[in-house]
Amino acid sequence: MTTYTLSIFTTNTIGLLNRITIIFTRRRLNIESLTVCETERKGVSRFTIVIRHESRDAVEKLVRQIRKVVDVLAVFGYLDHEIVFNEIALFKLATPLGGSPLDIKEINLDWNAKVVHWGLDYVVIEKNGTETEIAEFYQYMKNWEILEYLKSGRVAVGKTEKGLVEYLPEADWETV
Amino acid sequence: MANTQTMTAEATTIEPPKFLSGAQAIMQCLVENNVKTIFGYPGGAIMPTYDALYDYQDRIKHILVRHEQGAGHAAQGYARMTGRAGVAMVTSGPGATNLMTPIADALLDSTPMVCLVGQVKANLLGTDAFQECDIIGMSMPVTKWNYQITDADEIPEIMAKAFYIAESGRPGPVLLDITRTAQADFMTKPFVYKPCDEIVSYRPRYIPKQSQVEEAAKLINSAQKPYIFAGHGVLIANAQDELDAFARKADIPVATTLLGMSALPHNHPNYIGWLGMHGNYGANVLTDEADLIIAIGMRFDDRVTGDLAKFITQAKVVHIDIDPAEINKNIVATAPIVGDAKEALKALLPLIKERKHTEWIAEFKKYDEIEFEKVSKRDLFHDGDQIKMGEAVAMLSKKTKGEAVTVTDVGQHQMIVNRYYEYMKPNSLVTSGGAGTMGFALPAAFGAKVGAPDREVIALIGDGGFQMTIQELGTIAQSGLPVKIIILNNNFLGMVRQWQQLFFEKRYSFVELQNPDFITIAKGFGIDAHKVSDRAELSGELDKMLAANTPYLLEIVCEKEENVFPMVPAGASVASIRLE
Repeated sequence: MTTYTLSIFTTNTIGLLNRITIIFTRRRLNIESLTVCETERKGVSRFTIVIRHESRDAVEKLVRQIRKVVDVLAVFGYLDHEIVFNEIALFKLATPLGGSPLDIKEINLDWNAKVVHWGLDYVVIEKNGTETEIAEFYQYMKNWEILEYLKSGRVAVGKTEKGLVEYLPEADWETV
Repeated sequence: MANTQTMTAEATTIEPPKFLSGAQAIMQCLVENNVKTIFGYPGGAIMPTYDALYDYQDRIKHILVRHEQGAGHAAQGYARMTGRAGVAMVTSGPGATNLMTPIADALLDSTPMVCLVGQVKANLLGTDAFQECDIIGMSMPVTKWNYQITDADEIPEIMAKAFYIAESGRPGPVLLDITRTAQADFMTKPFVYKPCDEIVSYRPRYIPKQSQVEEAAKLINSAQKPYIFAGHGVLIANAQDELDAFARKADIPVATTLLGMSALPHNHPNYIGWLGMHGNYGANVLTDEADLIIAIGMRFDDRVTGDLAKFITQAKVVHIDIDPAEINKNIVATAPIVGDAKEALKALLPLIKERKHTEWIAEFKKYDEIEFEKVSKRDLFHDGDQIKMGEAVAMLSKKTKGEAVTVTDVGQHQMIVNRYYEYMKPNSLVTSGGAGTMGFALPAAFGAKVGAPDREVIALIGDGGFQMTIQELGTIAQSGLPVKIIILNNNFLGMVRQWQQLFFEKRYSFVELQNPDFITIAKGFGIDAHKVSDRAELSGELDKMLAANTPYLLEIVCEKEENVFPMVPAGASVASIRLE
């Protein structure tokens, strides 16, 4: 199984998320993660979708089907080594009186994570990183009682000098 | 009552509206788009638009169907004849869901269609209101584009976009879900209609890249046994003249797909038949001999390729298609050309060498002789008592000189029409290919007649499919469209029966029909109808039908357990084609 990251640029239209995801479901492809956000171009949304697949050919076919959607501006497919990517994870940990203390220094310096909220008997820790880094940190966090754990979908940019501007020139698109 | 009084009171105090209502804007957009006829069925959520239509009857003809599915297929029939979007107008909820089958059919067969669908008032959206249905969600997988209009001011722009998307590039169905609010409200600005000719996120490529054309030309010029597969794309692009010139210059045999039928006249020196499950023997088998396949506007459907792993593995492939998603989808193209079939052939023509492939083309003829001996002869020149579908179609073909528009339903008769109707004019077959929708033919036929009033339009339908949209006889009678209807009646769901016979040990599971008296039914609708079961009377009955200038139904009672051959068993390689 290879991980593929798809960056999909679309006009911001209601229902487009559905129109894109049905292309995956019809082919029985499971979406590993999905992130939708606005971009530096007004009215343009960016979908970052991560899938795992054995066949590059199947992924290329999928990309062509997504490109076919009328409101889709551009689709790029990447392998992991072609992108810089990250996710955000949040851990809510119980810190009851008399529990094992957290080593904030270790969390900060060794794990590159930080406490973003102090509750009365809990803390919320934020960790940014790749899926692997977050998974490793999760193992470390299991030393405490995890009340809740969640992470965002992947966000990714291609390792090229090209910017969105080359696909959606400023002449045609208002910047935000 | 109180409500009425309030409304009257308001009406006296409000100034008359300055601008068009949304519903009037919809009508005006149709006029601007030069739409002369629409097919529809009224109901609650589309009533404001039907009210506006009342004042536009002099400019827009409305054909009242008997079921929304009929409106959709009629719009398809119209579109297939004209190349322009057929318009279907229906109400929300069940009206819209009944339109789903034609929409799915139109997507698979690349047919331009604009569906105007009523929706509940904007403030009721999502409340499970009466006749509310999430038609945007429902139609998403089967439309090229869909959009919900909630504001009357949006109408001109969205309507223009809808027609542009439906008709351009690879054509397809577009659905507009128009809330009652958007129809009933008045616009807040003057109506201005600007045709759409560009969408930034949608730029179909018509003119192919020169580099791709040159690459393809090289392959064509060096091929020893090139073979053209001509699909629906040729007819959609109106590229039959270019195909003719191309095939003659390079002297390449041409087979069509089911939907590509009539792209070349059947007496064309390069035409060698049709491809696919029930296509011609040589056309199928010799795919294994070709060293180059030139696929034009076709998509290597499974009914054409059979077992994909064994299909044209020895050949290089030039694939011309306007839809980039079709390239490398089923068959890897050695030299793809993304572009319009007409433009691509125009660009290729000066680059290809004049060649002669006489021996190669003669190989197809050898297979034709075998096919004639084993299949056609049995269908056409037999001495059985009962009429065979093949002889009826062949006779019809002769009598109409191959110049009629045939509209077929789905099943055995559909394949038989393609086997024995000798098409001489382009764009003469309207059929449901990709979706295989039974019930398609009757409504599609009157749609086609509206699109091509000067051509003889003949619907050929099996007894099963006929009963799926039989109510459209009412539409034909009311509109007076002189559509000819032939029922090829074998009292069976014949194709399923054939499969049960060949692959399910003759276990005939629910395929025999107890049919009504079709003649009485047609007459009940006010349509002239005749029945023939005696072979001696067949010719005379066909003459009578063709002489009629009113709607006319002819029921031909056919042999009950006739099979369609050749046949490539589903999932098998084309080489394993059966002749009996």
